[in-house]
Amino acid sequence: MSGGAGETGSRNPSRDEDDLKRSSGGGAAEKFSRAIARIAVSQICESAGFQGIQESALDALSDVGIRYLRDLGERAHSNANSAGRTDCNVFDVVQGLEDLNLCWGFLGASDVNRCLVSSSVVREIRRFAGSAEEIPFARPVPRFPVIKSRKPTPSFAQIGETPIGNHIPDWLPAFPDPHTHLHTPRPAFYEKALDPRTDNVQETREQRKAERSLLSLQQQLSCNGAVGQSSKDVTHGGLKTKVVSDSNPFLATPLQFGEKDVSTVAVPAKLSNQAVVKNPVSVLEAFTPAIEAVRNGHCELGYNEKRVLPNKRPTVHFSFGIDKKSVGVPLGLNARNSDVENVASWFSRDEEKDYKKRRAEQILKESMENSQELA
Amino acid sequence: MNPSNEAKHDDESALADFLSSLMDYTPTIPDELVEHYLAKSGFQCPDVRLIRLVAVATQKFIADVASDALQQCKARQSAVVKDKKDKQQKDKRLILTMEDLSRALRDYGVNMKHQEYFADSPSTGMDPTSRDE
Repeated sequence: MSGGAGETGSRNPSRDEDDLKRSSGGGAAEKFSRAIARIAVSQICESAGFQGIQESALDALSDVGIRYLRDLGERAHSNANSAGRTDCNVFDVVQGLEDLNLCWGFLGASDVNRCLVSSSVVREIRRFAGSAEEIPFARPVPRFPVIKSRKPTPSFAQIGETPIGNHIPDWLPAFPDPHTHLHTPRPAFYEKALDPRTDNVQETREQRKAERSLLSLQQQLSCNGAVGQSSKDVTHGGLKTKVVSDSNPFLATPLQFGEKDVSTVAVPAKLSNQAVVKNPVSVLEAFTPAIEAVRNGHCELGYNEKRVLPNKRPTVHFSFGIDKKSVGVPLGLNARNSDVENVASWFSRDEEKDYKKRRAEQILKESMENSQELA
Repeated sequence: MNPSNEAKHDDESALADFLSSLMDYTPTIPDELVEHYLAKSGFQCPDVRLIRLVAVATQKFIADVASDALQQCKARQSAVVKDKKDKQQKDKRLILTMEDLSRALRDYGVNMKHQEYFADSPSTGMDPTSRDE
């Protein structure tokens, strides 16, 4: 709503700021005063003959009423200042009323030599007050805004203390009690109060453990990713050949921070004591390589509290175009259920070749079955 | 000069009487609210009668706007009554709408624009007095 009941142009810039502050929701006093204004305006409308009022219309009319009130006050104040006074008197107010009513005219407006005492504006107001029935405000209104009385800090003299040192005069505020800023030995009966604190300590310790495990997990995943880049593995179609890189991954130059985008790992509730699990979708993404690695069976992640470090760098198998039936499922599931040590023994260096044969056979079987399904 | 002096005296006494009578009259707008907004605008006066005067002036302004809006509302209702006889039953329900208010305020120099409707239900955009409220 663009307002302005006959305002002069000079005051508009400051008024716009004011409007913005007001419209942005002010403080508690602003809301309170607006609510009171709404009630008053609704009472006036009721006395005028309305039985109902739209909410937005009520807001608009109360806003206009408040602006009128403030405008009148500003004009009266500026009239008083022009006359060299700070306090307003009745003539300032009447002059302000005349200025506001000038746009829609009043009796005697054209009279240059009119006296404010006989102003017709006042006469109209008098007639209004006489004719309209008196409707007091519905509820008692307390004085507002309530200014909180602040007790200043007592001085040394008021307390009766002698300040430490001769350089401090006694009319200055006193120092706070020493136990607030110096160390105090805890008496014995405080030990009971420590229990909630020790619980907090334990909680923070566990949190830190969880954070550490998260961090190491993330590092491991990023390392897996790095290794996966260097060595290309067999897919279930058997189309790609395995290229083993000669470079030792441990001697590779470390990745700078930000060089490789590492997906944020959302830890499932089982792993950490933190109840919050963010982005459940990313858990799957984050753990897919880990799950693939588990199928290879180097260690179990995320389903046990204790972690077993792999004795060799695990390879990540990327399964492209995978459907529900994945290649390594039978092995992987068994791996999860059985002990970690058994799993580790399956893939010791001696049995690696056998494992590759078995895997190739399985891949062929799966591909045969898949082709049968597709056909 | 004498008659004009007498007239002035009359006017002054009338004004003084009016101001003192204001103390008996309780305006609808409470004093605390008026004091709050006058304080915000820099108005400084220890006299309570002036605050009452400002309150009555504002009340008169709002009452004038409301009465103009009422005339608009009644005019619209009387125009529609010719079309439908159902309106006679709903005639008594006078509701101040944004439309009537904006028309009334236009004469007072306040330009108020509002959205016609927000299309969130099938009955939006219809004449508000025809809707069951």
